[in-house]
Amino acid sequence: MSSVRQITEYLNIDLEKELWCCNRCGYELISARENYKKGCLVYIRKDPTTIYNSVLTGPFSFSPDPDWAMLVEFYCPNCGVMIENEMLPPGHPVTHDIELDIDKLKEKYLTAKSDK
Amino acid sequence: MRPNPKKLLEWIKPGAPTDEELECMKLLQPGDYEIYTEKLNNFLLESKEVFLKLGVSSMLRSGDLVTGIYAPSGDMVAAWCGTYLHAVVGQLPIKYVAETWIKDPTVGCKDGDIFYCSDPLYGGIHNCDQIVVMPVFNDDELIAWTNAAVHQPETGACEPGGMPLTAKTRHDEGMLLSPIKIGENFRLREDLVEMCVNLMSRAPRMQAIDMRARLSAADRLRTRLVALAQEKGNDFVKGLFRRILIEAEEGTRRRIREWNDGTYRAVCFMDIVGEKHKLVRNYLTLHKKDDRLIWDFTGTSPETDSPQHCMPHALAANVAIHLMSYSFHDLPVSGGIFAPMEWIVPDGCMFNPHYEAAQSNSAPSCHGAMTLGTICMSKLMFDSPQRELVAAATGNTGVGIIVSGENQWGVLIADFLAFGLNTEGHGARSDMDGIDAYGFSHCPTGRAPDVEDIENEFQFFNLVAKLCKDSGGFGKYRGGAGTETIYSVNYVNYALYNSHVKGSKVRNCIGLFGGYPPGTLPGIEVLHTDLWEKLKRGDKDIPTGAVQLISERTIKGDYKISSIFQKTHVMENGDIWVVFSGGGAGYGDVLERAPEMVMDDLRREIISHWTAENVYHVAYDPETLEADVEKTKQLRKKERENRKARAMTWAEFEKEWSQLRPPEDILDYYGSWPDGKKTREIIRL
Repeated sequence: MSSVRQITEYLNIDLEKELWCCNRCGYELISARENYKKGCLVYIRKDPTTIYNSVLTGPFSFSPDPDWAMLVEFYCPNCGVMIENEMLPPGHPVTHDIELDIDKLKEKYLTAKSDK
Repeated sequence: MRPNPKKLLEWIKPGAPTDEELECMKLLQPGDYEIYTEKLNNFLLESKEVFLKLGVSSMLRSGDLVTGIYAPSGDMVAAWCGTYLHAVVGQLPIKYVAETWIKDPTVGCKDGDIFYCSDPLYGGIHNCDQIVVMPVFNDDELIAWTNAAVHQPETGACEPGGMPLTAKTRHDEGMLLSPIKIGENFRLREDLVEMCVNLMSRAPRMQAIDMRARLSAADRLRTRLVALAQEKGNDFVKGLFRRILIEAEEGTRRRIREWNDGTYRAVCFMDIVGEKHKLVRNYLTLHKKDDRLIWDFTGTSPETDSPQHCMPHALAANVAIHLMSYSFHDLPVSGGIFAPMEWIVPDGCMFNPHYEAAQSNSAPSCHGAMTLGTICMSKLMFDSPQRELVAAATGNTGVGIIVSGENQWGVLIADFLAFGLNTEGHGARSDMDGIDAYGFSHCPTGRAPDVEDIENEFQFFNLVAKLCKDSGGFGKYRGGAGTETIYSVNYVNYALYNSHVKGSKVRNCIGLFGGYPPGTLPGIEVLHTDLWEKLKRGDKDIPTGAVQLISERTIKGDYKISSIFQKTHVMENGDIWVVFSGGGAGYGDVLERAPEMVMDDLRREIISHWTAENVYHVAYDPETLEADVEKTKQLRKKERENRKARAMTWAEFEKEWSQLRPPEDILDYYGSWPDGKKTREIIRL
């Protein structure tokens, strides 16, 4: 059993090194005990119409109102893949969305590996 | 005595097996479990068909309903879904009747009795959802209960349609029935039916017919269970029921145990409170430990003076829609699934308000929680054998378009327009796009009515009904497209219309692993039009979509662009309005979407050329719609470099982001910023 687990579409955890890594390029982002978003490059998309093309302008359109919410995008610093994004009101704290029990994970996968 | 919210939440879980039930399980021979659970499912399917064919209101006709089988204790054994939330909460009024009225000498419970209820404080979802419950006796022994439940789109509330946006307390919401005995000897009591019909004077025909449809469905199920008990014996039925509950619980625990221990969080935001545009937060922290799931909604905004609340048991039932249609879809639809789950819902948050709070918008208030459940469970399941069940959120706009008045046949109606309701976009999945016009967020199997059905039943002309371009969240896999429909008041001088649809400012539907959330939904009305003249002349420039309607403006009239969320108001003959059902959210990075899939989206008019070029960064021939794969690789490589160039480090981001804050006037109901704690008391009159 490998010591690298794919946790999301774009994130691996290297259990031996206890690191979040990019699944696409292997770049080591940050400690697996931290919020992986802190190891990413971050972009505040203040103008949502750059994603949501709207024939309407004004307070009601096909694009979110940036006073209410902005896209915060998290990229791999090496390959630029978008690992995750969040639609947040301006200034709202970023979510620590995945906080794994690393010790349990190591026990589950590394112990199983060494038993083999 | 009304049960308290903690007790109702606890009642969602099955009770412990009795010694008698465990003994009865031994009667099942090899193969019996498989044969007779399937038999129960066939009974349910038949009763659902009976229900569907006899009822008249639109959600009933769309199949947004449930028929269920419950053990004598009230534990859910099996259900046709339909609406999973109704199946889950169906247990609660039964447990209340079992605990209370059976023993009460003034009420009691005997063969042929019929109970009826609609009050969320006794286990329902909201005032609109009427449930019929029947005890099943064989040889003078209570062996089961059956139920049939569906949303009734009129309750005699302070506004038509049962879900008044102006409701401040439960006293504005019309009929709220605690479980009562409404019939005996297999017949409804006409005096009590008359009471209900009289209360629904905006739509009396619907109430009168749908009550009987509920009863017919529950009674058909009852007769089948009696026949089964006569064939196999009461003890066999008891053993079968308990085996189903145990199989579901053990299957659920086994699956949870396989997943990675940890804590998973998600947040989303809703943009309406009562009749106002205000920001509120829904927050979920999901703890997975060994074979247990703990659902903690701490951080959700506080209760308000609006009807956007729900009880904790209703919250759990809404989250169960994901659990039963994704994570545990292959296990029996039974209460056993809830045995390994705990729920933390703080007092005073919008999911656990004071009992006097209005709750008529309970189901729409839970759409954010449904999104959060899907997102947290998907993050939990990715590194597991259940990866194929990982998905972004379904549209979760809750396309509640309510119309009322007198229809073209002179009949009073107050009902949903169920097309938009049942055609929301599906969330993109880990290996494929979400389904276009997938269904109702509360009912994966709901069926949108045909245009002809709508025009026959209601006083409206249906000019357009089609998939909405660019409505599904973009991503490696695209969220399913929602729909757009254009209606006009026809045959009658006027009709009343309101909309509970959310998402004009921000959507509560969020993407997964870099997939984008879907776009927002504006409200569009055109008043005092020349539509009929144009149709009579045979004009060729009648719009075939909402964008064409508002950009070309070939129909003369007063164009009004506002929120899709609308209070009850009058629409006159020939007035036009647009309904959007929200698309689902996207999955994965847009730059990983196969160019050929983007071309296919263009061919099917699911996305615009602008999106293909500016979001997906695909190079292609706009005439032939053939992708240039090599050039696309170059464009995408350049965009990845652009991303890195324009982005910041975490420290730089924190410094800039922490200086921002939404305008104060949209935070009136949010609670404390940013953590959503209660900041004031609500005084209800």
